[in-house]
Amino acid sequence: MASIAFNNVTKRFGDTIAVNNLSFEIADSEFFCLFGPPLSGKTTILKLILGLEKPDDGEILIDGRPVNHVSPARRNVAMVFQNLALFPHMSAEQNVRFPLAERRMDESHIASRVADVAAKLHIGHILHKSPAQLSGGERQRVAIARALVRDPVAYLMDDPISALDARLREETRVELKRIQNELGRTMVYVTHDQEEAMSVADRIAVLEAGSIRQIGAPSEIYDNPHSSYVARMLGAPAMNLLELDKGRASALEGALPLSGLAVPDGAAQIGIRPEDLLVGPALAAGQGLVRVYEVEPLGGVTVVTLQAGETSLRAMVRGQPKIDPDSQVSLSVAAGQACFFAGDGQAVRI
Amino acid sequence: MNRSLPFEIFRYAAILSLVALSLVPTLWMASMAFKPIAEWSATGADLTWWPKSPTLDNFRFLFGESSSELIVALDRTAGQPILSSLLSAVFGTLIAMISGTSAAYGLSRFGSGGNLPLALIQLRIFPPMAVMIPVMIMWAFLGLIDTWYGLALVYGIVTMPFAFWLMKTFFDDMPREIEDAALVEGCSRLRVFWKITLPMMRPALASSALFVFILNWSDYLIALLLTTRDWVTIPVYMASLSSSMTGQLYGAKAALGLIAAIPPVILGIAIQKHLVRGLTFGALKQ
Repeated sequence: MASIAFNNVTKRFGDTIAVNNLSFEIADSEFFCLFGPPLSGKTTILKLILGLEKPDDGEILIDGRPVNHVSPARRNVAMVFQNLALFPHMSAEQNVRFPLAERRMDESHIASRVADVAAKLHIGHILHKSPAQLSGGERQRVAIARALVRDPVAYLMDDPISALDARLREETRVELKRIQNELGRTMVYVTHDQEEAMSVADRIAVLEAGSIRQIGAPSEIYDNPHSSYVARMLGAPAMNLLELDKGRASALEGALPLSGLAVPDGAAQIGIRPEDLLVGPALAAGQGLVRVYEVEPLGGVTVVTLQAGETSLRAMVRGQPKIDPDSQVSLSVAAGQACFFAGDGQAVRI
Repeated sequence: MNRSLPFEIFRYAAILSLVALSLVPTLWMASMAFKPIAEWSATGADLTWWPKSPTLDNFRFLFGESSSELIVALDRTAGQPILSSLLSAVFGTLIAMISGTSAAYGLSRFGSGGNLPLALIQLRIFPPMAVMIPVMIMWAFLGLIDTWYGLALVYGIVTMPFAFWLMKTFFDDMPREIEDAALVEGCSRLRVFWKITLPMMRPALASSALFVFILNWSDYLIALLLTTRDWVTIPVYMASLSSSMTGQLYGAKAALGLIAAIPPVILGIAIQKHLVRGLTFGALKQ
């Protein structure tokens, strides 16, 4: 129903710049993920869209219309807060119907909408309880129901499922994605969990200190990070970043030959995803510099932590190969699967 | 917890003796309120805990219907002072709570009135006497001396800082997101305050109001300075309960003290259920 655009938006709190000259556009019906470490400005961006904070500079547009001076109540954007922010003195049902009642909708319409949403989120049986009587997961769903009950132009969610246990989180994640598809509304979703960002988003914005470092589809950001910062943010275990040796033909002082790779000019660092780092048996002299530090079998894959001098790096191997801790191994890089970065962290290509 | 028996005995003995110590005067007052003059006057060499011939004479005396040999005829009954205390304390509490709560909300949410907290504390820095004499002069000028509303106004002003500071800490502790959520869901600022903030603050309001009310209810000094005759309050009236022949009228004072204890106790019981639950219990995820 609506696109959301930021034009050179800046927001300061005292001396700290929370959002720094930001420009981006979220397309209509897009599942847009804001992803970054704590204090990178994710929540502030949501509050700016909601109108709970006013930008110091720049312009925010919803559906092409500037909304800088429109009150939160009139922006027609729904929000699920990080700490849920249910109204504790009201029952779950009163919480869910609140947005409609405040807009003076007629009683029969409210009742049918509430019933609809309750069915969708499976909370019909707990509507009479007060938030204090609900479990964490139930509260979560009530908070989501309160956002879904009306018909806003966009939904904003601030890390809404971080309090759930792992299994419930995966379920809710899938559910949210499905609901968003079904409603066809724009969704702005804040998370600090890279797996969550990768799995649900149409596009991800990777944030650092109030600036967007890269925007793109998850696979694009994963395969083609614009900087070493972005490269390290996505992927678990994180990408290995290694200084290149003199001559750029190897890394780790010769322990990692880069023979099959074309190293671009100006590259100072090589980035290798753990799944692209290949572990082999120790070769002859000069190759035995890498020692196995720890082996974590995870079922389908095994994560091997390696130690080369002072540097620690991680490789991901399919299956459960027999690798002994403290043994010596050799390393190589899968053909064509590496990123290169200049001294300032920017990606360099050939 | 596995403590030795002697220690436990000592612990309970200590607790019980402290409780007894603090309760003795109150119980003695209650007992004295129902004793006839012979039993509480100084002549009574045989003071007993339990009234030998219990009577309501002290209460009747306070309200001017005594038939006993209580020597003095009171120049006024206790009815008017009780009314005066009630009116001034209740309205003083209302003034303090309404203005204190609004100021606290403004400061806590919007940072308005930046130096207000310090300014309000000034009222408490000086000894009450130093403040009250100028107030007395002002009140005389305004014609507010010896009126219940003049007294209520001073009570409101004097206890407002307490209401303000108490409510400010409660507002500071309330998560902003709950109000934000209501704003996003279509409320105006004012409506958020009415529909969300105030109902959530009920326990805080109740406990602050009780505290402020007790301060106002038990004031002696201000009432002594600002009332003269028609609207003296219970504490001032109580001080006047003596006669040249019998000295202090302890029985009547005890009866009045018992009456004075009723409103705070009733209020305390009434708000107790609001105090047991935490402020935002269940509003946030744990």
